[in-house]
Amino acid sequence: MHSSIKYVVLALLVLIPSFVNLGVPIYNRDSPELFGLPFFYWFQTFWLFACTGFYFAYAKLVENKA
Amino acid sequence: MISSDVILVFVSLFIVFIGLGFYGKYWRKGDLNHVHEWSLGGRRLGTTLVFFLIGADLYTAYSFVAIPSGVFAKGSLYFFAIPYVMLTFAVALVAMPKLWTLSREKGYITASDFVKDRFSSRTLAIMIAITGIVAELPYIALQIVGMQAVLTVMLAGYANAQMVGEISLLIAFVILAAFTYSSGLRGAALTAIFKDVLVWITVIVVIIAVPISIGGFGNAFKAAKENYVTLPENLVPAYATLILGSALALYLYPHAITGVLSAQSVQKLRYSTALLPLYGVGLAILALMGVLVYAVPGAMNFLSGFPEGSRGILVVPSLILYSLPAWFSGIALLGIFVGGLVPAAIMAMAQANLLTRNIIKEIKPDLSNNSEIRITKMSSTVFKFVALAFVFSVPATYAISLQLLGGILIVQILPAVFFGLHTKSLRKNPLIVGLVAGIASGIYMVEMANSFGPLTSSLFKTAFGPIYIAVIALAINLAISFGGSAVLHRRAIKNQTGQL
Repeated sequence: MHSSIKYVVLALLVLIPSFVNLGVPIYNRDSPELFGLPFFYWFQTFWLFACTGFYFAYAKLVENKA
Repeated sequence: MISSDVILVFVSLFIVFIGLGFYGKYWRKGDLNHVHEWSLGGRRLGTTLVFFLIGADLYTAYSFVAIPSGVFAKGSLYFFAIPYVMLTFAVALVAMPKLWTLSREKGYITASDFVKDRFSSRTLAIMIAITGIVAELPYIALQIVGMQAVLTVMLAGYANAQMVGEISLLIAFVILAAFTYSSGLRGAALTAIFKDVLVWITVIVVIIAVPISIGGFGNAFKAAKENYVTLPENLVPAYATLILGSALALYLYPHAITGVLSAQSVQKLRYSTALLPLYGVGLAILALMGVLVYAVPGAMNFLSGFPEGSRGILVVPSLILYSLPAWFSGIALLGIFVGGLVPAAIMAMAQANLLTRNIIKEIKPDLSNNSEIRITKMSSTVFKFVALAFVFSVPATYAISLQLLGGILIVQILPAVFFGLHTKSLRKNPLIVGLVAGIASGIYMVEMANSFGPLTSSLFKTAFGPIYIAVIALAINLAISFGGSAVLHRRAIKNQTGQL
């Protein structure tokens, strides 16, 4: 991968999850529910797994760069 | 009265815990007379161990007590802890590898070591060390409050419950002090794994068993108050700034830096950091317990026997006790109990490093290696008992509020540490003024927000809605640090061209 593209990808891998986390109105709603759990709660819990994916990809990409 | 099975299981597992703590000394053996061997586990911890060690910093009484207690009393606002931990690892992934690399090269053990070297300023380094020590103290006190909550619930109904509880805490701390003295960080890392296994078993069992027994989450939300389902519109700025401020603060705490520097390689540090959001799943479950408890009549009935202000801290232990079998409660309660004890050990060690290396050694530079390690071990013991004395002398709810204040203080070292690592434009004097201004304005705003009474809120009402004070005070600090540095830089250039 070209190095400047790589930096953009690295930045996105950190910025996308952060944007969602700080963008409270994105997930501040009650439906759809999951097992009776309001969207607000299950979405943020689910997003933990997605973040792990983003961050792991970041770590992997930095390693390949070195 | 609680079945004695609970206490039997609890005590047996505690004995296993003590054994592991002392065994740590022999594990991956190193010469414990060196500071980096004792306090950083010889900088040899791999991905898994760093994962558990930093996880131990997260899965503290903050998750068992402060967050569920907040959700129980105030609702959805306190769920900010979940996005906060997600964001904090993004911050760590970007900021911390550089600190690790420099520390390995130059032998730093604390953030203050780095600052002294980077800005050649003893004053700034000492100020940062003091900020770290002070901000860490209420965090340790919070751990003790969590342990106290377990004992309160477990001993309720027995004769002299309060006295027995305080004596048990004292004994637990003497044992903890003894094994950290002899094993250092190795003991803490080993017991951290033990504690995490127990805690993970607990949260998984709770999240499956409790919703089934109460007929689904829906019933808990129906039983709870109104603003529990989503976040009230006016609290959105508070939620977002609590996420941001807390996420920036976590990796500045001395104990988090200890965890980072103990990693074996920078790549192992990156991988364990990337995986850490998974820990947040457990935190989310614990936070939900603050809602679930509303649908468990036994626990609600038990809680109603306590004054309203102190019910929150008892939510998790009483929910466990009133919805799971006795023998299992013993396992779960011990998990929470040592979940306060292990982080308290790591935090006191981090404080001791700051005191010895960055304060005492500055005053007495000819300190020998042997005296350095002796003073470090001794002061880590002293810090534990200072925190214990603090908890015995002030009401438990106070400790939680002071921990919020701790976050506001520690985030003020961010310009010198994070920006010091990654930019070239900062100078020492503006950083010193910025740090002082950040701390002073932070404390002043906290006092204003609480009308100079007991501390219950860390939010400041602005035109945009309530905002977490740490973020405002940090903005003031950053403006002074960068603005002042830019002015000095321009003046320096002018002088140079003037001389030509």
